[in-house]
Amino acid sequence: MSDGDRIVIVGAGVAGLRAAERLRELGFDGELVIIGDEARKPYHRPSVSKQLVMGTARPSDMTLHAYTDLDARWRLGTRATHLDTAERVVHLPGVEQLWYDGLVIATGVVPRHLPGAMRHDPRVRVLRTVDDALAVRRALAASTRPAVVIGTGLIGCEFAASMRQLGRDVTLVGHARAPLYRFGPAIADSVSRLLAGHRAKLAMKSEIRHWISTKETFGLHLTNNQLVVASCVVLAIGSVPAVDWLRGSGLDISDGVLCEPTLFAEGADDVVVAGDTARWPNLRFDEVPRRVEHWLNAVESARAAAESLLAGRAAATPFTPLPRAWSSLYDVRLQMAGLPALAEDTVQLDRDVTGFVRAGELVGVCTWDRPHAMMRWTAELERRLPAPATTPAPAHAASTAGITRLATV
Amino acid sequence: MSRLRRKSRTRARLSVDNERCELFGICEWEAPALFELGRDGRLRYRRQPAAGELTQAAAAARCCPMQAIELRGGDDE
Ligand SMILES: Cc1cc2nc3c(=O)[nH]c(=O)nc-3n(C[C@H](O)[C@H](O)[C@H](O)COP(=O)(O)OP(=O)(O)OC[C@H]3O[C@@H](n4cnc5c(N)ncnc54)[C@H](O)[C@@H]3O)c2cc1C
Ligand code: SF4
Repeated sequence: MSDGDRIVIVGAGVAGLRAAERLRELGFDGELVIIGDEARKPYHRPSVSKQLVMGTARPSDMTLHAYTDLDARWRLGTRATHLDTAERVVHLPGVEQLWYDGLVIATGVVPRHLPGAMRHDPRVRVLRTVDDALAVRRALAASTRPAVVIGTGLIGCEFAASMRQLGRDVTLVGHARAPLYRFGPAIADSVSRLLAGHRAKLAMKSEIRHWISTKETFGLHLTNNQLVVASCVVLAIGSVPAVDWLRGSGLDISDGVLCEPTLFAEGADDVVVAGDTARWPNLRFDEVPRRVEHWLNAVESARAAAESLLAGRAAATPFTPLPRAWSSLYDVRLQMAGLPALAEDTVQLDRDVTGFVRAGELVGVCTWDRPHAMMRWTAELERRLPAPATTPAPAHAASTAGITRLATV
Repeated sequence: MSRLRRKSRTRARLSVDNERCELFGICEWEAPALFELGRDGRLRYRRQPAAGELTQAAAAARCCPMQAIELRGGDDE
């Protein structure tokens, strides 16, 4: 590895951090530059809808640490605006261009916007960043009216639980039959009961008919004819990959960045992708490229992407994790393993344990406050869905040959 | 928050912040030699991981949902 080599990481979230850490662990001793558009070092994003929006933790408590010396140049508060894969440069605001020998794309996702929502009203918010959590807290402080959250997925439910823990009234508005319905009827039932038990209001199978906004009042008229006056409205209706800056780069950005099984961007020799924005075929399941938006996947894919980049495209091994995720609602631990989204059907495997089945095969498990059962079922899934065998050398033997070669082409 | 000070010469020490830990048991999955979520729901863990267990310990700390695991001292990998 020569001293002149430079790896650039775009996106200073958990995936960017863990990729940097793995590159150093594996002995990369060239220059490492990390570009992030948030003005903060990487932090624990899951607490945005939990401790940070409740105000029970300070943003500084949530900073992540590296377990090895990163010796990186941080360019925070800086947005990458364009990528030129032929010239191997990342464009930054102004005329600045940053050349690279290797690139890690880890720009994550951004919240989806709701057509018709009054997105410029300060009372209409999303939840992705520390700044978002602080803005929601400001809106809550300005009025004692209830909070409303549109979207009843994990972030919507977590936000509702956070509001009730603060003693604030909250209404959840969603299209689906029940909150978290994609995790099957049993989990949806448990979460509905939990939320109702804590007196969060549910407006399911409904959407917004009108937004009502005057200086004093702000509210929503729902399709179920309910009128909700609100202090703030949080949009939690999913997210879209943050890949605008990759337009014209030649990479396939139809849904995140399309990758090979090794997390190399499709067709690129020197670009790998990690975290929420990577769409790759997990050969443990099938050959269909998919994205996974969970913390553990960001950690694991970042390490795998770093290993791939240093090994080089020809020697890199496929990333074949058994995805695992968690959420917490009040004191209930909700955990997932596998790919529940693939399922055609669900089965009840045990008390508070839902199995997800595709073509008669178990492809995922979700548990409602059963951490021991989750450990057993994760092991069972590993047994039933073994990672396909690969011949190339294991990660620890990965060399820096790939990068050295790139630098000398 | 968890961190490992690389230059430190002391033996590695592992601790879990009880205020933060919500007993998910993900640490046990990552580092079964170091953590055990007991039947009684309590988490037991080894406070002084051996040199060969530091990789596992760091993996647990990175994955812990509550970022409750602190790892200090020792040397990495
Ligand atoms: C509110 C909330 C709660 C969550 N809770 C859980 C949970 O309980 N459990 C769980 O498993 N997962 C949870 N997640 C998901 C988890 O946080 C993500 O999977 C994880 O953060 C993904 O990491 P990442 O590094 O890929 O992306 P991110 O963490 O989003 O980091 C990407 C970074 O890149 C920056 N960026 C984007 N574009 C550019 C650009 N052009 N130039 C420079 N920088 C750029 C972004 O601003 C961001 O800082 C939650 C997510 C949110 C938003
Ligand atoms: S992974 Fe973290 S939260 Fe879970 S039991 Fe271990 S220390 Fe506690």
